[in-house]
Amino acid sequence: MKTAVRIREDLELKNPIITASGTAAYGEELSEFLDLSVLGGFVTKGLSIRPKRGNPTPRIAETPCGMINSIGLENVGIPVFLKEKLPYLNQFSTPVVVNFFGETEDDYVIAAEMLSIEGIAALEMNVSCPNIKRGGIEFGKDPESLHTLVKKVREVTKKPLIVKLPPLVTDIVVIARAAVSAGADVLTCCNTFPAMVIDENLRRPLLGNVTGGLSGPAIKPVVLKLVRDVSQSVHVPIIASGGASTYRDVIQFLLAGATAVEIGSESLRNPLCFLEIIKGIEEYMERFRMHSVSEITGTLEIV
Amino acid sequence: MKDITTRIIKNDKVAEKTYLMTLEGDLTETKPGQFLMVQVQRSHEPFLRRPLAILSCRDRMIEIFFTVRGEGTALLAEKRTGELVSFIGPLGNGFSDPAPGEHLLYIAGGAGLPPVLSMAEHLGRGMFIFGAKTEAEIPLHNRLQNLEGIQTLFCTEDGSLGTKALATEILSRVIKSLPTSTRIYACGPREMLRQTWNIAAHAEIPCEVSLEERMACGFGVCSGCVVETQQGNLRVCREGPVFDAQDILWGSR
Ligand SMILES: Cc1cc2nc3c(=O)[nH]c(=O)nc-3n(C[C@H](O)[C@H](O)[C@H](O)COP(=O)(O)OP(=O)(O)OC[C@H]3O[C@@H](n4cnc5c(N)ncnc54)[C@H](O)[C@@H]3O)c2cc1C
Ligand SMILES: Cc1cc2nc3c(=O)[nH]c(=O)nc-3n(C[C@H](O)[C@H](O)[C@H](O)COP(=O)(O)O)c2cc1C
Ligand code: FES
Repeated sequence: MKTAVRIREDLELKNPIITASGTAAYGEELSEFLDLSVLGGFVTKGLSIRPKRGNPTPRIAETPCGMINSIGLENVGIPVFLKEKLPYLNQFSTPVVVNFFGETEDDYVIAAEMLSIEGIAALEMNVSCPNIKRGGIEFGKDPESLHTLVKKVREVTKKPLIVKLPPLVTDIVVIARAAVSAGADVLTCCNTFPAMVIDENLRRPLLGNVTGGLSGPAIKPVVLKLVRDVSQSVHVPIIASGGASTYRDVIQFLLAGATAVEIGSESLRNPLCFLEIIKGIEEYMERFRMHSVSEITGTLEIV
Repeated sequence: MKDITTRIIKNDKVAEKTYLMTLEGDLTETKPGQFLMVQVQRSHEPFLRRPLAILSCRDRMIEIFFTVRGEGTALLAEKRTGELVSFIGPLGNGFSDPAPGEHLLYIAGGAGLPPVLSMAEHLGRGMFIFGAKTEAEIPLHNRLQNLEGIQTLFCTEDGSLGTKALATEILSRVIKSLPTSTRIYACGPREMLRQTWNIAAHAEIPCEVSLEERMACGFGVCSGCVVETQQGNLRVCREGPVFDAQDILWGSR
């Protein structure tokens, strides 16, 4: 297929369009709208070794051209996922990527071991969790902590290992290099931006958790630049995540250096966007007589 | 499930800041209490769809009924006959059918009217208590007054229409005269629903409440809209919006 992309030698996606973690749950609801087999990849809600209840409500706040969520990583836990959710997802031909996180290095390692089984095509590590040992700083914000963590996870899994970077760091290139040198096969760029909304009449934050993560079209131009910066500094495939809502956004991310693109917030308001985007990419490739997505990736021309 | 784009037949102002919009279209097998996620604009502003209850669905017409609260509902209020809107639905579980012979009591506060009115019109029997701050906030007065087979009691906080009381105060008064085989259907502000549950629980009367929570997707994928229940967190958009009042952990938010 012309639209196919490869994110590691043993993992081909039929097109570059992937669900984002936390915006497609475990697939059942989204499949009421479309056949999940049309997707290039399916990324699950972020999973931990034990179930997690998440944050108090309100968990959603609308912002200009986007939204802030503070779900708090609520999930069913890996054992329930493997037993009740994975078999459902495996009915479709789409590779299943499991997004996971932990509170300690051991949590991550145990999770990666539990997930290194048949039926799971790749692992996506969410490193935006506080590192207890380092006084609560996020694993993904400190290159050394991240390097140690990714290395430990790398030792226990042969699955394609994707590290999902936090966007708000002093220098994302340093963080990206730390992940790659520790053995990451792919980087997702990026997670949501820390943000908040205040109700001026009540003089209170709108979210129950006070702060949350900003996503949607509002962040796209910023993420476009982060994707370009990262792709120019490391030699692994990059999955773009942040504000893509149309095929044009996707092509722009590919030009900036991405190999695939996750669609998150847009699919919450328009679950059929996946079909529209995939069709748009095919038409774009037709229009420019392209035979492979690799003719787009990283071909930004600067005159 | 579908994303349906349809034409507005009419959009009438029926009370202060309150509109009754009629859309073209058919929804197979809807239940009172179910809702739509309505897209206000095709652009990214406002970004999310708005959850609005289905007031009625018959003869290829869908009625929704909304109060202007912020940007999205204000934009909906400006829409005119012939314009297009798109929505996803029907969503959520809806109220459950009563057992044969069960007595029925509907209680709604302010903007919580649509799902309860929908159920009352569907079942066509029982008693309806509707409370608002003032007369100006009581929409569809005639429609409520003339509900076939239903006795309607109005109350307002300032006494401008009906009894000067809260809906739950009326409920406390009438509940003693109700047979124990009564079922309550309720929607309104959370505090009103909590009181309703309290009163119903004392009288050992089953009570179903339709809850509101901020939603991003409305179809169950984001976990944005959860409510704490005896069974753990449940999604208002998927397992709800209608819950058995005794399952809700009312103390927490
Ligand atoms: C299941 C369900 C059914 C509903 N049915 C009706 C109905 O039939 N008629 C009616 O008038 N209202 C109904 N509501 C409330 C209605 O969704 C809100 O009034 C509306 O979303 C406000 O949007 P806005 O753009 O005007 O306000 P804004 O304050 O500008 O909205 C900002 C964001 O907050 C959300 N929001 C604000 N208030 C509420 C609220 N009370 N509940 C949920 N989300 C909110 C909006 O959806 C939006 O995402 C229902 C809510 C739910 C959850
Ligand atoms: C409701 C919601 C839940 C999310 N949950 C997770 C999660 O569990 N793990 C994770 O790594 N990212 C999570 N994200 C981040 C998204 O996967 C995505 O990276 C981000 O939203 C940016 O992309 P978008 O603008 O296309 O939404 C979540 C985002 C949203 C909106
Ligand atoms: S609004 Fe997304 S799960 Fe309910």
